[in-house]
Amino acid sequence: MCFANKGFKVTGIDIDSEKVKLINMGKSPFREPGLDELLMKALGKRLLHCTTNQEHALEKSGVSFITVGTPSLPDGSIDLDFVGAASQSIGEALKKMNKYHVVVVKSTVTPGTTEKVVKPIVEERSGKHCGSEFGLCVNPEFLKEGSAIHDMLNPDRIVIGEYDKRSGESLEKFYKDFYGESMPPIIRTNLTNSELIKYANNAFLATKISFINTIANICERLRGADVKVVAKSIGLDNRVSPFFLNAGLGYGGSCFPKDTKALIAFSKSLGYMPELVEAVTKVNEAQPFKAVDLAEKLIGNLKNKRIAILGLSFKPNTDDLRNAPSLKIVNFLLKKEAKIIAYDPKAMDNAKKIFGVKIEYASSAIKCIKGADCCIIITEWDVFRKLKPGDFIKHMKKPCIIDGRRIYNTAAFLDDTKFMAIGL
Amino acid sequence: MTPPSISIVGTGYVGLCTAVVFASKGYKVITSEQDHEKAASINEGIPPFFEPGLEDLLQRVLKENNLRCVLTSEEAILNTDVTFITVGTPNKPDGSIDLQYIERSAQEIGEALKKKETYHLLAVKSTVVPGTTENIVKATIEKYSGKRCGINFGLCVNPEFLREGNALHDTLHPDRIIIGEHDKKSGDFFEAIYNSFYRAEMPSIIRTTLPAAELIKYANNIFLATKISFINQVANICEKIPGADVTVIAKAIGLDKRIGPLFLNAGLGYGGSCLPKDVKAIINFSKSLGYNPIIFNAVEEVNKAQPIITIELCKTILKNLPGKQIAILGLAFKPNTDDMREAISIRIINNLLNEGAKIVAYDPAAMDNAREVFGNDIQYANSAIQCLKNADCCILTTEWEEFKKLTPEDFIQHMKNPTIIDGRRIYDPKQFSQKLKFKAIGLGTLT
Repeated sequence: MCFANKGFKVTGIDIDSEKVKLINMGKSPFREPGLDELLMKALGKRLLHCTTNQEHALEKSGVSFITVGTPSLPDGSIDLDFVGAASQSIGEALKKMNKYHVVVVKSTVTPGTTEKVVKPIVEERSGKHCGSEFGLCVNPEFLKEGSAIHDMLNPDRIVIGEYDKRSGESLEKFYKDFYGESMPPIIRTNLTNSELIKYANNAFLATKISFINTIANICERLRGADVKVVAKSIGLDNRVSPFFLNAGLGYGGSCFPKDTKALIAFSKSLGYMPELVEAVTKVNEAQPFKAVDLAEKLIGNLKNKRIAILGLSFKPNTDDLRNAPSLKIVNFLLKKEAKIIAYDPKAMDNAKKIFGVKIEYASSAIKCIKGADCCIIITEWDVFRKLKPGDFIKHMKKPCIIDGRRIYNTAAFLDDTKFMAIGL
Repeated sequence: MTPPSISIVGTGYVGLCTAVVFASKGYKVITSEQDHEKAASINEGIPPFFEPGLEDLLQRVLKENNLRCVLTSEEAILNTDVTFITVGTPNKPDGSIDLQYIERSAQEIGEALKKKETYHLLAVKSTVVPGTTENIVKATIEKYSGKRCGINFGLCVNPEFLREGNALHDTLHPDRIIIGEHDKKSGDFFEAIYNSFYRAEMPSIIRTTLPAAELIKYANNIFLATKISFINQVANICEKIPGADVTVIAKAIGLDKRIGPLFLNAGLGYGGSCLPKDVKAIINFSKSLGYNPIIFNAVEEVNKAQPIITIELCKTILKNLPGKQIAILGLAFKPNTDDMREAISIRIINNLLNEGAKIVAYDPAAMDNAREVFGNDIQYANSAIQCLKNADCCILTTEWEEFKKLTPEDFIQHMKNPTIIDGRRIYDPKQFSQKLKFKAIGLGTLT
C-alpha cells in the first residue's frame, strides 16, 4: 500500500480468492489505522491491483516481495510451507520471463533459509541461475501493528541482505526511488546476517519488556517503589532508551512470541542454548497470571465474582488476538469460576470466535464495568485512559480496579477506589 | 546564598571524583579518609587510582584551596553543610550486599551530628539495596545523634552513573539526576545544590522515594548487563553460522531507536566493580523478597560462561595448551582504567594457567595491579610488541586504543605462530584472516 501511494505500480498476490476480491473492492482483511483510506486511494489511481495469478503479476514487475507467514511449529521452529510454496510459484513465473527480476524475502525466516530453501526452489522451478538471471535479497520488516503505515514510511533503517552485489544494488535503488530525500540509513550485508538481524531485533525488544516486568515484580514487593518511576529514570540513560519499558501483562501478538521461540529452537539446533532468551519467554509466559493474582489479593476468592475485562487485543489499535495475554487471563479466570464480561473497541468479533458463549460481551467500556466486582485493564486503549475514578465508582458494584498496563494516575485512583497495578 | 560546603565520606573512586568535580566549580570540599597514607597522598595531589584527567584536576583544586582530605568524618561533617556518603558496598560470599562500611559511616555521622547545631543534609551515593537508607542509615544516624530525620537533618539517595574512564565527564554531563528524598525539605535543598552547580545546563531531574532511587541504580546497571549478555548470546549463535557477524547485527539493531547503539559490543563479558556486583546483589535481594528473577540469573550465567568460550576457541586452535605461550593483550576490565576488579582477563588467565599454558601479559595501565593478582605465575611485558614475541597465540582481552593500531604484520613479525583471538572485535576480519589465523567473538566462518 505504501509503495502504491508513492506512485509505484503494485500487484498483490494471494492464493485466497475471497481475500483478493475484498482487497480489490477496497476492504482490508484486517484492522490497521489509515489502511482502508490508503487502499481506496491506491485502487482509485489504479496503482494497486490484487490477483491470484502469480505469473501475470511477476511479468509486469521488477521486484517481488515474499511476505507469506512463517508460523511456529509445536517445537517452536518455523513452518516454511508457505515460503516454499511462494518460492515455487515465483520460480514458475520467472521461467517465462526474459528480464532480470529481484526476489525479496520479507517474511521472517531463520538464518540460512533464503540460501538453502528459497534459492534452490526458485532456481529449480525457473531453470535460471540466481545472481546472473535473477536477484535475491532478504529485507526484513520492522513494522509495528497499529502504526504499520507510519513505520513503513519512516523506518529507523533499511536492512538489505544480498545474495550478490547486483541484487543489493537493485533493491537499494528501488528504495532510493521510494524514499527520495528522506532515505533512511541503509545496512547492506549478506543473506544470513539480515535474517538473524530480524530475530535479534525482536528478541531484544522482548528482552526489554521481560526485563521491566521483572523490575515491576520486584517493585510490587517493596513499599514506596513504583516501576513507572524506575522505567522513566533508566529510560533517560541514553544507553537504555525510553521505548519498550512499559511494565504490563507481557508481550503478545504474532511476532515476539513466535520469533523468540523460533530463535531458541534455531539456536538449539546449532547446539547452543540461549538461556537469556529462554528466561525472557518464561517471564512473559508467567506475566499474564499476575493480573489474576492481583485480583485475588484485591477482592479475595473469585468464584462467581463478576469480572469486567477492558481490552482484549494484544495491544491497542489492532483487532489482533493472536497470543494476546487476555486469552490466558480470561481462561484462568474462567477456571476459577469467575463470571467474565469483556469489551474491546476493535477485537469483539475475533473474541467471539474464541470464547463463544463462555463469556459475556459488552458494547462499551461503561456497560462492561456495570455491576462488576472487579475490573482488569488488559489493553491500554485510549478510550480506557479517559475513564475517571468516578466512572468506576458510579457503575461498578464495588470500585476494585487492577491496572494491568499502568494507564491510570496512581494517586487519584488510590484515593478514591480499591486500586492495584502492575509494578506498584 | 553562599554555596554550601560539602564533605565526602569515603574516598574511593566515586568519592574522590565527586569531590574533585565539586571543588573544581568553587565549592569548598572536605573528604575524610582514615588511612593516613591514602589521605596524605590525596593531599599531595596523587590519586590512589588511575582516571583520565583526575590527577590534573586534583592538583588544581588543591592549589586553589578548595579541597582537603582529613582523617575523621567528624572533622569533615562539623565543617560542612552537606555530606555525600560514598563508601564501598562489596558483596558477601553469598552475593548479598555487605553493609559494614555503610553502618560504620552512619554511626560516625550520627556521633558528629550530635555536636552540630545547624541543619545538615546527607546524601547516600553508595549503591545500596532498596530499604537500606531508611532502615539502616536513617535509623543509625538518629540513634547516635539523638536527632530527627526530616527536622534536624535531611536525607536523600542520589545514585551515581559514572563510567570508569569517563568519570569526570559523566559527573559534569549526566543524562539525568535522580534524587530519592526522605521528605520534601531534603529533596528541595538537594535539588537547589544541583541547580546552582549545573545552572543553565541542569539535566533532567527525577525526584522520588528513597527505595525507588535505590532500585533505579540497580535497574540501570542490570539493564546494561542484560544488553551485554544479550549481544554476547547473539555472538555465540553467530559463531555457529557461516557468514554471520555479530558486529553487523549489533549495528543494524542499534539503529532501532527502541534499542540504541550503546552497550551492544559483543565480547568476553562484563567485568569491573559495578555490574558483576550489582547483578549479584539484586538477584540476592530479589530472592530475599521471595521472587526469583530468572532473567537476571540468565544474564549472570551467560556472563560467567563467556570467557570459557575463548578458552575453548584457544584449545581448538592450538590442539593442546600445556607449554604453549599465550600473549594476553589487555588486563584492565575495560580501556582507560587500571581497575582489574572482576576483570575478565583474570578468569581467562587462571583458566589458561590451569590448562598448563604459559602467559605473557601486557596492559597500558594495569600492570601494577596485575602483579598483585598474579605475582610470579605469569610473565609481564612492557609493550604490546614485546608481549607478542614468540607467542603461539594472542588473546585480545581489552580494547585499548593502542592495540587497535596493531597491524597483521606486527603479529606475523613477532609471534612464533601468528594466531589471534579477537575477544573485543577491534580488528577487521577480512584483512586479518587473509594474512594469519584469526578467530573472533561472534564471527562465523568467513564465506
